[in-house]
Amino acid sequence: MQVSIQWLKKFVDIRETPEELAELLSMLGLEAEVELDLTGIQHCVTAKVLSSEKHPNADKLKLCSVSDGEETFSLVCGAPNVSAGQTVVLAKIGAELPGEFKIKKAKIRGEVSYGMLCSERELGISESADGIMVLDAETPLGVEICDILNESLSSLEIDVTPNRPDALNHLGVAREIAIKTGRELRTPDVNKSSTKNISESVTVKIEDQIGCPRYIAGVVKKVTVKPSPKWMADALTAAGMRPINNLVDISNYILLEMGHPTHIFDFDKFPAKEVVIRRANAGEEFVTLDEEKRKLNSEHLLITNGESPVALAGIMGGMDSAVDDTTKTVLIESAYFDPITIRKGSKALGLLTESSRRFERGADPNGAETAYWRIVELLKELAGGELCTDVADEYPGKKDQPVIRLRQSKLNSIAGYENSEEFIEKNLTALNVTIQKVAEGEWDCIPPSFRPDLEREIDLIEEFIRIYGYDEVISSRRYNSLFSFGILDPQSKLLNIYNTLVGLGFRQCYNNSLQPKKIAESMDIPAVSVVNPLSEQMSVLRTSLIPGLLHTIDFNIKNGTKDLRLFETGQVHHRETVGFEGLKETQILSGVLHGLASATSVHGDKDCPESVYTLKGILSALFTTRFKLIKKEVSGYSNGFAVELNGKPVGVAGQISASYIKKLNLDMKEVFAFEVDLNQLEHNGVVFTPLSIYPVIGRDLNFVLDDSLNSGDIESIILSCGKGLIKNIVPTNIFRHESIGDGKKSVVYHLTFQSDNRTLEDKEITPIIEEIISVASSQFGAKLRS
Amino acid sequence: MKIEAVRNSFRAALDSLTADSQAIEEVRVSYLGRKGNIAKLFALIGSIEPSEKPKFGQLINALKNDCQSSFDEKVASLTAEKKDSNEDSLDFTLPGAVYRRGSLHPLQQTMDEIKDVFTSIGFSVAYGREIDDDYHNFQALNMPKHHPARDMQDTFFVDENTVLRTHTSNVQIHLMEEQDPPLRYIVPGRVYRNEAISFKSYCLFHQVEGLYIDKHVSFSELKGTLEYFIKRMFDENVKIRFRPSYFPFTEPSAEVDIWNEERNQWMEILGCGMVDPAVFENVGYDPEKWQGFAFGMGVERIAMLKYKINDIRHFYQGDVRFLEQF
Repeated sequence: MQVSIQWLKKFVDIRETPEELAELLSMLGLEAEVELDLTGIQHCVTAKVLSSEKHPNADKLKLCSVSDGEETFSLVCGAPNVSAGQTVVLAKIGAELPGEFKIKKAKIRGEVSYGMLCSERELGISESADGIMVLDAETPLGVEICDILNESLSSLEIDVTPNRPDALNHLGVAREIAIKTGRELRTPDVNKSSTKNISESVTVKIEDQIGCPRYIAGVVKKVTVKPSPKWMADALTAAGMRPINNLVDISNYILLEMGHPTHIFDFDKFPAKEVVIRRANAGEEFVTLDEEKRKLNSEHLLITNGESPVALAGIMGGMDSAVDDTTKTVLIESAYFDPITIRKGSKALGLLTESSRRFERGADPNGAETAYWRIVELLKELAGGELCTDVADEYPGKKDQPVIRLRQSKLNSIAGYENSEEFIEKNLTALNVTIQKVAEGEWDCIPPSFRPDLEREIDLIEEFIRIYGYDEVISSRRYNSLFSFGILDPQSKLLNIYNTLVGLGFRQCYNNSLQPKKIAESMDIPAVSVVNPLSEQMSVLRTSLIPGLLHTIDFNIKNGTKDLRLFETGQVHHRETVGFEGLKETQILSGVLHGLASATSVHGDKDCPESVYTLKGILSALFTTRFKLIKKEVSGYSNGFAVELNGKPVGVAGQISASYIKKLNLDMKEVFAFEVDLNQLEHNGVVFTPLSIYPVIGRDLNFVLDDSLNSGDIESIILSCGKGLIKNIVPTNIFRHESIGDGKKSVVYHLTFQSDNRTLEDKEITPIIEEIISVASSQFGAKLRS
Repeated sequence: MKIEAVRNSFRAALDSLTADSQAIEEVRVSYLGRKGNIAKLFALIGSIEPSEKPKFGQLINALKNDCQSSFDEKVASLTAEKKDSNEDSLDFTLPGAVYRRGSLHPLQQTMDEIKDVFTSIGFSVAYGREIDDDYHNFQALNMPKHHPARDMQDTFFVDENTVLRTHTSNVQIHLMEEQDPPLRYIVPGRVYRNEAISFKSYCLFHQVEGLYIDKHVSFSELKGTLEYFIKRMFDENVKIRFRPSYFPFTEPSAEVDIWNEERNQWMEILGCGMVDPAVFENVGYDPEKWQGFAFGMGVERIAMLKYKINDIRHFYQGDVRFLEQF
């Protein structure tokens, strides 16, 4: 909300600079910034346009001569509205406008321009850039613009939190300043002048008492529609609102002065002299002031003239009953509408107005009455109107203000420091809270009706700490200890995995969880959709981390890096069945490999592309416990394996299929990947295995095998014959050559024998070797290579 | 079998061989020399059955060839090694062998740092679901349906009652439903907001929220705890201010700013407050007996301040030119 500092000064003395005032309000919870402060603008003076002629070389430009009262300047101006006789703002050479815009001597289409005439936007006053700013003809010439306008226009922008409807107006902001500084608050006088000449009548019928607890109406006749006086126009402008005419401006002025939204109808446009408040019928249509035809539902509250709707209650008036230049008689509406009703209605139409914003946060039912009388008074004063009805005040939803018990002890306990009785009582009074002391350090408090956020003891406690100043609260450097016996961080095991992956050359990615449906379902897993996505491109939750990682590979290839190892951990989702229970969430670790594992080097290394074997090596480094890859059809993979850890399936690995890459519309060569379900990883404690002190004996066995046999099959035979003495077995060489035979390979296994309790001798090992040879021969036709 | 014994002892001798020319010659003479161990095997042919003689001969020949070639190879490598270790031929300006190092994402590093500070002062860490029901994300946190405060968090809905969590506070509710006080946790995780993507906002971000409930937890302790965290995270001398604010689940509530010298302005880094009694009532804690504080911060915001990153989208693009800087 934009707040005029000049306006605030009507209600409270302000001695602070705009900066200091913004800081003071921010520290009270009304986050404020200086919106407009012209102090920095120099060399911008008032000047008179002496002449304005068409630029000889440009159709849309004009050549002007302007005077600041002493000197005459010639300049080029592009504004359509410039004409001789106007009093305008001249930015002289050397002036600096907001946005570091420096004015220099310039040649424009062959004509020299000594300065610039400014629009409101160029001065930072408003967004208006329709033309140059034209000042009152009486304004003296040659005066710095900041000296003329700063006083009336300087303003703050305040971000008011949803709990503080009372601060959405100048009086409310002034009240906060008064409370904090201890200065006096000057509230405007309310003159409930009843009328002698009752010539009209209006009846108010509230059919929906939930939606409309209070409705005040009255009629003022003989109004003259004209522009508002300067003081009101300036006040509205400084608060960021454009003056329209006196009737509209009066309602807006009261809205910004005390926060209560009101509406002024053209009463001559009411066929029946009554106001009926009812719910809209589903599908009912209504044209609002902004000339939009709105389709309503039964949540919407309507103000009707008994026959047809005249306003969407608390949100916006109607086109048909709007005031115009010919309006003579007006109906004033000052009501209190239910916050939830207004919010639902405003949400359903996507129509947020100054009025709905205040009603949905909670207006002041008593403020409705004050606002009514302020409007009557201003209509008399500024539009020459005469009140011609008694006030019609229907108040079926009157509620008592809550009585809150406040305990000094609870306040001190929450605050963590002592609050004196004197401090408490002084500030309750400043807050307009009615108090009654019931015991030592205990009060019964009735908050004012303009503070709907004060309902409970804690709401009052907050006020004391806020007014005392959060920065004044001494910070405690200790708290009572609490031992926790649970797992300190259930994901601490991930750190080890992360560090291993980093050591293996992987870079961690964080990809978007929201994807196009086509991509999320590319692995044939039903995805979870968002009903209100930002776009189709981000409409469902990812079912796998692989598509995101493939896109990241693609992005990096396009930016010049193609040798990539990337990993990501994150949640993936899928839908198993309908309903909340059917939403499944899994924490996954995935990695992808692309390009070369290592490249040709000056030291004689040759290019080594990533392969199923580099992938397997990485998994071995990651899972030091025994793991297995078991061939399996995996969606999206051409060479897919299930990853088993300690006999339990934990994920999949393999080569991403070319067809899957194509399905994602990507273009890249071989990609290898793994996906592990992190919830399946067990966090086993380590148990030490005693070290053998006996010597190690190595033996090599060179088998000739059918090429179709897996090396691992022979290894398990070898192990099964080892009587527990084989500590390790590694294939060290594989050789294929015609001398060995077609469809054959020769594989050398290096075996390591060791016992935990004795030195092994040849006579023990030889029979084992013979057994291995014989079993390998009988089961696989493996022959020892001679 | 004698053949195997010679092969094994030759291998052992070869393995222990160094670039000492005298030792090399000794091994050559004792195995491959005219009176060496292999030559001696030929002498045994005489004592073999005539039918086995050709096969035995072949085996010895094979052994001799094997040993000769491994010997030659070993000697070549030993002399090469010797040459390399000659100081004059070393060129340390050549690149070393290439070991590609990876990197942890800056958000991971920032999140880990945050966790370290809080676990060091007695907080445990908890995690929870990203899709939750409206009750745990909003209602239990004192944000009934149609509450204006819901506008503060633009929400993605899966259906009318199911949301992508807008904060990790949903986990706080689950924790309080499952455990009796006192408790002290931080909750890191990914959260979602239905906001247009720009340099300063994204449709998701990461949060760390904290919760501490005990009998006498006060606003003064909240201030002390978070000041400690900020000083550990940034700099002991950083200027901090607590500014009153509003969150439906805490009262009093505050936003915490730190002073940014470079930009000459306050930068908001976290929100916090005393747990609202309504939240305690929703989870069945007695607000007369228990008090607590809660806080929440955006990991992205802290990482951006710490590393001077100017565009939030860098975090989610996976550009290795970005990732390799951390």
